[in-house]
Amino acid sequence: MRLGFPRACALALSLLAVSCGGPTEQKQDGAAAQTDPNATAAQAQPTSEPPVRGDWLVIHTLSDPESLNPLTANDAGASSVLGWIFPPLVYVDPATLELKPAIAKSLPEVAPDHLMYEYTLREDVTFSDGKPVTAEDVVFTLKAIRHPRVNAPHARNYYEAVSDATALRANVVRIRMSKPYFLSDYQLGGIQPLPRHYYDSENLLGDVDFRELDKYDELPPDKKERADRFAKQFNENFNRNPMGPGALVLENPGRDLVTGERVELRRRPEPFWAAGHPELNDPYVARILFRVMNNTDAALVALKAGTVDLMGVRPVQFLKQMGDPKTRERIETHEDASGSYTYIGWNQRRAIFRDKLVRQALSHLVDKKNICAKVMLGLADPVESPIYPKRPEYDTKLAPWPFDPAKAKELLAKAGWADTNGDGVLDHDDGEGGRTPLRFEIISNSGNDDRKNLGLVVIDEFKRAGIDASFRAVDWTILLERVKSFDYDAVILGWTASGAIPPDLYQIWHSSMAVEGGSNHISFMDERVDSLLTQYRTEFDAVKRKALYDQVQEILYDEQPYTFVYAPRSLTAFDKRFHGVTWYPAGGSLESEWWVPSGAQKYH
Amino acid sequence: MSWALLAYAARRIALAVPTFVATTFLAFSIMHLAPGDPVELYLAGGLASGDAGIRAEKLADAERAKAELRRELGLDQPIPVQYLRWLGGLVAGDLGRSFKDRLPVWDKLVERIPVTIGIDAAALLITYLIAVPLGICSAVWPGSRFDRVSTGVIFALYSVPGFWLAVMLIVFFGGGDYFAWFPPGGIRSLEYSSDWSFATKVADVGHHLALPLFVTTLGSYTELSRYLRSSMLENARQDFVRTARAKGVPEWSVVLKHIGRNSLIPMVVILAGVLPGLISGSVLLESIFSIPGIGQLGYQSVLARDYPVVLALFAASFGLTLLGILVADILLALVDPRVTFGKSGT
Repeated sequence: MRLGFPRACALALSLLAVSCGGPTEQKQDGAAAQTDPNATAAQAQPTSEPPVRGDWLVIHTLSDPESLNPLTANDAGASSVLGWIFPPLVYVDPATLELKPAIAKSLPEVAPDHLMYEYTLREDVTFSDGKPVTAEDVVFTLKAIRHPRVNAPHARNYYEAVSDATALRANVVRIRMSKPYFLSDYQLGGIQPLPRHYYDSENLLGDVDFRELDKYDELPPDKKERADRFAKQFNENFNRNPMGPGALVLENPGRDLVTGERVELRRRPEPFWAAGHPELNDPYVARILFRVMNNTDAALVALKAGTVDLMGVRPVQFLKQMGDPKTRERIETHEDASGSYTYIGWNQRRAIFRDKLVRQALSHLVDKKNICAKVMLGLADPVESPIYPKRPEYDTKLAPWPFDPAKAKELLAKAGWADTNGDGVLDHDDGEGGRTPLRFEIISNSGNDDRKNLGLVVIDEFKRAGIDASFRAVDWTILLERVKSFDYDAVILGWTASGAIPPDLYQIWHSSMAVEGGSNHISFMDERVDSLLTQYRTEFDAVKRKALYDQVQEILYDEQPYTFVYAPRSLTAFDKRFHGVTWYPAGGSLESEWWVPSGAQKYH
Repeated sequence: MSWALLAYAARRIALAVPTFVATTFLAFSIMHLAPGDPVELYLAGGLASGDAGIRAEKLADAERAKAELRRELGLDQPIPVQYLRWLGGLVAGDLGRSFKDRLPVWDKLVERIPVTIGIDAAALLITYLIAVPLGICSAVWPGSRFDRVSTGVIFALYSVPGFWLAVMLIVFFGGGDYFAWFPPGGIRSLEYSSDWSFATKVADVGHHLALPLFVTTLGSYTELSRYLRSSMLENARQDFVRTARAKGVPEWSVVLKHIGRNSLIPMVVILAGVLPGLISGSVLLESIFSIPGIGQLGYQSVLARDYPVVLALFAASFGLTLLGILVADILLALVDPRVTFGKSGT
C-alpha cells in the first residue's frame, strides 16, 4: 500500500493471472484490506519506545520492474517501487479514507460545476536534486501524459477529461475538465509531478500548449519535430534512472538496480521536506530493498533465513509452512481480505448464454463455499458483487447465491433445455428445426493452478447436470487475444479493486465498453445498468451514489452476467523485528511506518 | 599444413554464413508467426493492463497508440523486411533495443553474460577436475570395486532430476526449517559491497553458488568419465601401448602420456560442443536459484514476446554452435595428426 493511487480508480484485472497466483497484491494499490477495521490498533505491536530510524526493509518481489519511468511503466512491480520516489499532490489517508494534501499545500479549490481545480503547492517541496517542485512541473507532467507519442496510453486514459492545464503562479496550477466526474478529485490529486528540468532538459515541450497536444498532427513542423524528439527521448532514456521528490532515491542505477536481483532505494540526503512524516511516505528504515526472486519457495526459505523481511505467501505456504515454533518466533503472518475477486464470465455473444435463466442455473451449479474450502484451502471468501465488500458501496442485502443443482435443473427446463435425443446432454431447439446441445468450453490462463482447479471442479458439476462443459488453460497472450475479440465461450479471470478509492463500474459493465479491446469483454448489455452507471459518475453525493450502486448490484445479482466466485485473501509474512506495523481498512500497511528498535537492527 | 588449415577454416566460415542466415530467418519467422502480439501485450486496453480499461470514446486513441508503437518497433513491416533490418543491424554490430524496457539488447546481454559464463565455466572446470581423474582411475582398474562403485554413484547422480534436487537443497540447506548452511538464492549477499576485499567477495559469491554449481555439475560427470574410460580402455589395447610397456616406460607415463593423450581426442570434441552451452545457461536452475543469468532472461523474453532479445540470444547460441563445431574440427587436427584438410581429405 502506498501513498499514491492515481491508477486505481477502477477495477483492474488481477495481475495474479500472470504470476501464477502468487499473492503479491499487498504491495499493489489498495488491493488488500483487513477484515476488521476496528482491529487496527490491536494489530500494532505494543511498544513504549518512540520509533527510531535505521535498518533496511527487504521486500520480496517476483519479478523485476520492467521500467522505472513513472508514466510508461505499466506493471505492479514498478508501481510499488515508484511510489517511494514520486509522491502525489494529494493522498488518501488509509485510516480514514479521506483525501489529505501531500505535495499540495491543501486540498484543491474546486469550482462549483466541478470543471476547474486549483492546486497550490507547498513551497518547500524539492526534488532529490534540491530544485523546487513547481506548477510548471505539474503542467509538464500532464503534457507528457497527454502527448500522443509518449508510451503512456493507460495514464492518458485517466486524464482524458483534462481539457487544459496552466501554471497560474510559480506554485499554483489550474486544471480544467471537459466534464464533471466524481473521481476527478482522486485522479487529479494522484498526479505525481515529474521534474521538467530532468525529464525534458532541453525544454522541448516548453512552447507546446497543453491543448495543442490534442491536435498533434496540426502542430507546426518545427514544434512537432521538437515534440517528437521529446517523446523519443522520454520513452527511451528514462527507464532506469527515476528522479522525483520522494523520500527515497535510486542513488546509483548501476549499483542499485540489478536485473534479476534487486532494486535498492536509499534515503535521500537531508534536508528532506517531509522528514519525520511517515504518512507522506518518509520511512524510518534507511533503505528499502526489493529483492527479486522468481521462486516463491526459495523466497520463503530466505524469509525464514532472515534475508527477506516481507513477502506475500501462497495459501499452501501460509497453512503448512509457517507453523513450527522456530518460525513463529521470528515471523509474523497477516491475513487480509483482498480487493480482488475471481469470476466465471459468460460471453453473451454466444447464444446459449444470452438467456438469464441459463446463467442463473450455471451459478446455482457453482458451489462457492466448497470451492473456497477445498480449492482455496479456506483462504478465500465467496463474493456476490463486483464491489469490494469492505467498501461502503457494497450492497449488504445480497444473500449468498445458493448452490442448488435441483433449482438449476428447474431453471434450465424452464429455459427450454431438455435431453431429447438421450445422449446425456441437454439440448435446445435451434430455431431451424434442429437441436443445439448445451456445450461450451471454459478457458483460463495456464500457470494458475487455482483457476485450473476451479475450472475442473465446476465442469464436473456441470456434467452431472447434463451440460457438456470442458476446461482448457491457454497461454496468457492467446487468452488475451481470444477474450478481446469475444472468441470464447466462458472465461475464468479476476479483477482487482482498490479499497481506498470509490469504485467506478463503468469500464466493466457499461454497454459502450462491449467493443473489441473494451473491459466489458463478456458483452453484457443492459439499459438500466447503463443509465445508472452514467448517473453515478456525475453524482458528487456519496449517499446518493450508494443508492445508485445498490440498484446496479441488484440487477447484476439477478442477471448473473458473471458467476462471482471468490475473493482470495491476501496473505503476508514479515519479520518480527519490525514495530509499528498497522493494517489499514483500505488494504495493506504503510511500510514507511515500520521501524526496528536500535538493539534489533540488522543492517547498518 | 597450416595453409591448408587456414583455407579449410575460411571455407567453413564461408559456408557457415548462409547456414546462419537461413537458420536465423527461420527462427525469426517462427517467432513472428507464433500467437501473441507484443504490442497487444504491452498496450492492451483493459484486459492486460492490470488497470482500468480504455474507454470506448478513447479506443481510437488506443488503436493509434498501438499503431504508433508498432511503427516505432518496426513491427508494421513485412517479416522479410523486418528480418533484413535486423540482419543489417547485426552486421553493423547493433542488436536493437528490447521491446520491454527499450534498453539496448547488447546492454542487457552484457549485464547477464558474465554471470552465466562464470557459473558455466566454473561448472565445466569442476566437471573436468572430477571426471577426468575418475575416468582414468576407472580405466586403470577396470572392473575393480572402485570402478563399480564410482560408476554406480555417478549414474545415480546422473539420474537425479536437477530441478527437484535444487528445490530439496534449498529447503534443507537454505536456512528455512533445517540447516542454514547456504543462502537460498541469488549470487551474492544483500550487503555485498564493492569495497570488500577480493577474498571476501570470492567467498561470498562462492558461498552463494555452491548449491547451484553442485546441481549443475551432478549430471555431467557421467558422460565425460565414461567417454574417457572407454576411450582409454580402447587405447590400452593398442600396439603402441604394448610397445611402450615392453621398452620399459614407467606405468604412470604409459597411462598418462601414451594412453591418456590419445584418449583426450574425444574430450576435445566434447569441450567444443560445450561452447554454445556456456552462454545459454539453464532456465530451470537459474529460475530456482534466482540467478540473474541468460537462461532466465531468455525465458522471460519469450513470455513477453520481446523479439529482439530472444533473437539475439538465439543468434548468439547458434553462432557459438557453428563456431564450436569449427573449433572442434581444428583442434582435432592439432591433436590428431591423422586428420588432414587437403581437398581430397575429409
